[in-house]
Amino acid sequence: MKPHRRKKLGIIIFIAAGLSVAVGFTAFALKQNINMFYTPTQVAEGEVGSGQHFRIGGMVKTGTVLGATDSLKVNFVTTDFVSDVPIQYEGILPDLFREGQGIVAEGEMDANGVFQASRVLAKHDENFMSPEVKAALDASGASAENHSPVATN
Amino acid sequence: MWLWFSKLGSPKWFYELSGKWLPWLIAAMVVFMTVGLVWGLLFLPPDYQQGFTSRILIVHVAVAGTSLAFFPLLLVSGTITLVWRMKLADMVAKNAAILGAWFSFITLATGSLWGSVMWGTWWEWTDSRLVSMLFQLFLLLGVISLRSALEDSETAAKACALLSIVGCINVVIIKYSVEWWNTLHQVSSPVSMDTQSPNGPEFWIATLIMIVAVYLFLSVSLILSTRNEILERERRSQWVQDLVSKS
Repeated sequence: MKPHRRKKLGIIIFIAAGLSVAVGFTAFALKQNINMFYTPTQVAEGEVGSGQHFRIGGMVKTGTVLGATDSLKVNFVTTDFVSDVPIQYEGILPDLFREGQGIVAEGEMDANGVFQASRVLAKHDENFMSPEVKAALDASGASAENHSPVATN
Repeated sequence: MWLWFSKLGSPKWFYELSGKWLPWLIAAMVVFMTVGLVWGLLFLPPDYQQGFTSRILIVHVAVAGTSLAFFPLLLVSGTITLVWRMKLADMVAKNAAILGAWFSFITLATGSLWGSVMWGTWWEWTDSRLVSMLFQLFLLLGVISLRSALEDSETAAKACALLSIVGCINVVIIKYSVEWWNTLHQVSSPVSMDTQSPNGPEFWIATLIMIVAVYLFLSVSLILSTRNEILERERRSQWVQDLVSKS
């Protein structure tokens, strides 16, 4: 390789490396701002200020979904298997919403420690299965929930 | 090796060689695309939760994965343009940016469709995977407009090459966004050889065929558009004039 070309290549590699480091540090510094939601544990540890509008992400705890019969009000508990947060929501839930499913709720904490959600989204995990495989797994006791608890980073 | 490398930079040599490859690539693309689409969209088993909506992901995953190949491609061609000043590298880069923008757009569109059904939302500004993918589309549109804004073609080639090299970092962010941060978007599905476990062969073989098909489509489109570019830019050269007068 000719010297002037080697020099140019060196400059390009230098720019690329410098930029990677800069972006890496920025991303690390903004970690919590880039995160879409807080986990129930983070909420329990008081990382969210009071009166703040935020999103919370976790699994719908099995056996906690209580729907009103005369309205669209629904109460359930979201969990990351360490801490629980009760959620109240009024509105239409996504089709994927069910017990044991990952969800992201947006809203505020009220004075009683209940999260008043204005929006509930369903989070799908990375597992795809045909109904036959799901039935076979359930029969053998290895439920799909064991494969993928919601991300807890 | 160096001889082969400098030969590759010759538009005439590329034009002749790609002409020989094209029929094979097109034939392979048609086969893979047909098998992948028919299998993926008509015969893929339903997911236990999503039903048949999961079939959208056969297209989404293949196009999204392939769309991440454009910036690395632009990085290589951009470096060659800046260091070795090969004209062919810039011709490839020009068309790769346009194709990449389309691939990014299809990724966002198919993902939105799936998200509207499964997540209950078309778009979330707070999801880093979604936003970084949108950023890739904007970056590519930026590269395209930068080229058309600069009149001198050599300056345009250098400026686009530099922007592409810098923009390459975004690919890493897209790839790892779902692991570094909390997102609504799920992480990549690990494939499993076991037919009795999640993500078994019944799902991923069809996806793999679609990925190969989309890569072949990308290669064919890129070669065809680059050949056009060669004919246009080299229109005053003897070999192009011979080619035109022969046909």
